[in-house]
Amino acid sequence: MKLKLKTVFLLYFMVSLMGLVYALMQLGQRCDCREHDLPKDRTISQLRGELHKLHEQMRKSEPTKASKKTSLPTIYVITPTYARLVQKAELTRLSQTFLHVPQLHWILVEDAPHKTPLVRDFLAASGLTYTHLHMLTPKERKLQEGDPTWLKPRGAEQRNEGLRWLREMAAAAGGKGPTIESAVVYFADDDNTYSLQLFEEMRYTVKVSVWPVGLVGGMKFERPVVENGKVVRFHTGWRPSRPFPIDMAGFAVSLKLVLDNPEARFDGDAQIGFLESSFLQNMVTMEELEPKADMCNKVLVWHTRTEKPKMKREEALIKQGLGSDPNVEV
Amino acid sequence: MPRRRDVLALVLIVLPWTLLITVWHQSPVTPQPVTRKDNRRVVSKTHSNGLQPKESCVIYNSVSGVVRTEYAYGRPQPWSDLLPIIHIITPTYTRPVQKAELTRLANTLLHVPNLHWIVVEDAPRRTALVSRLLRSTGLNHTHLNVETPRAYRLHREPRAARVPRGTTQRNLGLRWLREALGHGAENRGVVYFADDDNTYSLELFEEMRSTQKVSVWPVAFVGGLRYESPKINTMGKVYGWRTVFDPHRPFAIDMAGFAINLQLILSKPQAYFKLKGVKGGYQESSLLRELVTLGDLEPKADNCTKVLVWHTRTERPVLVNEGKRGFTDFSVEI
Repeated sequence: MKLKLKTVFLLYFMVSLMGLVYALMQLGQRCDCREHDLPKDRTISQLRGELHKLHEQMRKSEPTKASKKTSLPTIYVITPTYARLVQKAELTRLSQTFLHVPQLHWILVEDAPHKTPLVRDFLAASGLTYTHLHMLTPKERKLQEGDPTWLKPRGAEQRNEGLRWLREMAAAAGGKGPTIESAVVYFADDDNTYSLQLFEEMRYTVKVSVWPVGLVGGMKFERPVVENGKVVRFHTGWRPSRPFPIDMAGFAVSLKLVLDNPEARFDGDAQIGFLESSFLQNMVTMEELEPKADMCNKVLVWHTRTEKPKMKREEALIKQGLGSDPNVEV
Repeated sequence: MPRRRDVLALVLIVLPWTLLITVWHQSPVTPQPVTRKDNRRVVSKTHSNGLQPKESCVIYNSVSGVVRTEYAYGRPQPWSDLLPIIHIITPTYTRPVQKAELTRLANTLLHVPNLHWIVVEDAPRRTALVSRLLRSTGLNHTHLNVETPRAYRLHREPRAARVPRGTTQRNLGLRWLREALGHGAENRGVVYFADDDNTYSLELFEEMRSTQKVSVWPVAFVGGLRYESPKINTMGKVYGWRTVFDPHRPFAIDMAGFAINLQLILSKPQAYFKLKGVKGGYQESSLLRELVTLGDLEPKADNCTKVLVWHTRTERPVLVNEGKRGFTDFSVEI
């Protein structure tokens, strides 16, 4: 077939014409619905926010349904907390992390004589599955104003209260059920930073699993040293002779092990740094520890601490009777 | 047997049209259904210069060498056509808590739909740590870097010549937005400066989304108070500032206490944070006074009666046991 120039041009013209018509048809169909009036926009975005919150709440309040579908072991996170200026901020950002973790049940234990409205309202709005408890630390074990933070171990009573609730809950359920048999217990302080991967690492714990913790013990990270898939010793810069020289954030315990050891609890009178050992030492040996986080080579949790906000001007104002509105919750 | 020349001519004629039609087919947006949990779904999104959602676009521009914008799949919220985009500019710098801070900030931002995170490192090069972190979150982000000029760094200069931390980086973020987005009227969005150590409630992002010019709200733990806030009169307008530290500044507000409409930023391309000669606490004013007047401010957070953002600061970790030569394995990233 010999292509004459006239044919080529004609062909080109027809193709161009068809393409143009096609494009025009596409334009005609497309609805440019961008000219909304502004209050409508705002309502819509607010509604979307609401919708999202509801989605999250729905997701979190269907544990049994999800567990039947996916049969993911439940992670019970026990967090001791106490009232101070940054409490709401810490709990807020912690909850934002937890909202990403499926099958998580948050046990928040306040160091207080009663449940406070701040925490109660916060938990109700969080969208998480939670249990709200409280347990007051006895005066003699409490840090006094001006005490350095390393003087006395903190949170022991609250964690024990969390354990007590778990044991009670398990007993009531007869020790059976998907939320008990393969569940894991993790002790998460409200000022640390947790990556989402950490929770997936700990989810399948048989007895006690361990991993590195960043920014603790005066070092960039502390970790168990793993050889041939087993923990042989602990890499730490402070008192490595402790039975378990590991931070609270560096291990998770299977609920089964907790239930099999009904006397295991944290010793509030333990020396500083020995709190974790007081809990673990009669439950598990070093050989039985399960190393996670790529054989303890990755840091997935950081022992961050939040500064105490400077309140000099607030205090000065309060003296003059001009303090900021106490009704505004911070 | 058709001659080779004829075949070539035919191909050359047909090729541009097939390309045009293919491109045309791909560009209309079809919003994906909301998925539950972590099912990975492709999220389509139009970009103002017509990029395919699956590509990662590498733009070389004069701003800082290579800039990469990547699009989000999976865990972040599905993209919506109706919601204005929130552009978050976060300056960051290398220090032991950096990865932790960015991790938890990312965990927060993953809940916010239609978000674009612009992370600007104070470094001579973009670090692998931040690149890897941003990629692993799956967030819609842009990774930039600019080093604060030595002359402006905090410890060297006397107080008067120092530049508040993050200024150069925030300015780069603004400049990037202006260069990348141009002046299209379809750029509906809000710009917010979020430091990597503050705490943000999810409600805050929904409050700022409807900003017309500049919206403001209270911030906790700044100025030596429980919170600082704008003063609102009965007409719902800002008339002053409830602060102790220099309440007579033009805008006595913290960086975390305001958001600016994207159109306003784009329409005033000369507005930047002032670098030199800015007194402590006047940083925010140096930008805002070029954009709005007091009367234009929109109070949010229930007429500035709720605290939705906290100016938390993270303690510097004590690393005494590292010693001079470092005790821990250097190859492990923290």
